[in-house]
Amino acid sequence: MNCKTVFTIPVFGGIAVDEGVVVTWIIMMVLALLSILFVRNLKVENPGKVQLALESVIEWGENFFKDIIGEENKRYIPWLMTVALYLACANLIGLFGFKPPTKDLNITAGLAIMSMLLIEYSGIHKNGVKHWCGHFAKPVPLVAPIMILEIFIRPLSLCMRLFGNMLGGFVVMELVEQVVPLFVPIPLSFYFDIFDGLLQAYVFVFLTGLFMNEEME
Amino acid sequence: MTGTIIAIGAAVAVLTGVGAGVGIGIATGKAVDAVARQPEAEGKISKNLILGCALAEATAIYGFIIGLLIIFFLK
Repeated sequence: MNCKTVFTIPVFGGIAVDEGVVVTWIIMMVLALLSILFVRNLKVENPGKVQLALESVIEWGENFFKDIIGEENKRYIPWLMTVALYLACANLIGLFGFKPPTKDLNITAGLAIMSMLLIEYSGIHKNGVKHWCGHFAKPVPLVAPIMILEIFIRPLSLCMRLFGNMLGGFVVMELVEQVVPLFVPIPLSFYFDIFDGLLQAYVFVFLTGLFMNEEME
Repeated sequence: MTGTIIAIGAAVAVLTGVGAGVGIGIATGKAVDAVARQPEAEGKISKNLILGCALAEATAIYGFIIGLLIIFFLK
């Protein structure tokens, strides 16, 4: 259940590389290779079947995120789609015998910190530093401490939600497989591995988009 | 002896799941009600339902994490 160290980089007294990081590298490699493979030979005149399928998928994703953060903020859509893709792969990779990297608190914390920085950056970029400083005292100045705490609570809850769901699913699946190794884990695996994994990936990017939207008002 | 007390502590932490269960149950009941009244709005309703369920579930997840932390770090 704990994250194992795969190998140690022998600099600065040894940097331990965890299992989750290695699995993340594998996902990055696969996604990068697939992107290079699919994006080769794109044509404007009579496109192929692969290009048409790819275009419809990307357009569906773009429309989906446009509904959340609005047409005028579409510069953040590629980031949200990338995170959604990574999280979907990371949560589903348990099916291929790897340990899902989102089961490691460090990785979800990293993702949540990136979300936090982007949420605050999007607010500053849209409305300026002055408005950003002013919005903490928006309804009444009394709520300012709570508003400042919210900066840190939002990524904390994003990170804990993802981590807890994945770890919970993993623990339940391990326990069930120890009690009944045959047939019974299959329907449970559909719920805990596939449905819950995709749902949590969706919820993570959905909430990030929602918070950004809130910040950019 | 301490092992028993730690187990009881973890069990109390996991009781947070009650709130999430009740909340998700009420939300799902209301969503079914809404779909029965307006079947054409099912897409929007289920989107909001999933979001609400994920938010309501967070409390149960916090309890679970606290339970794990109690078991692992109070030995």
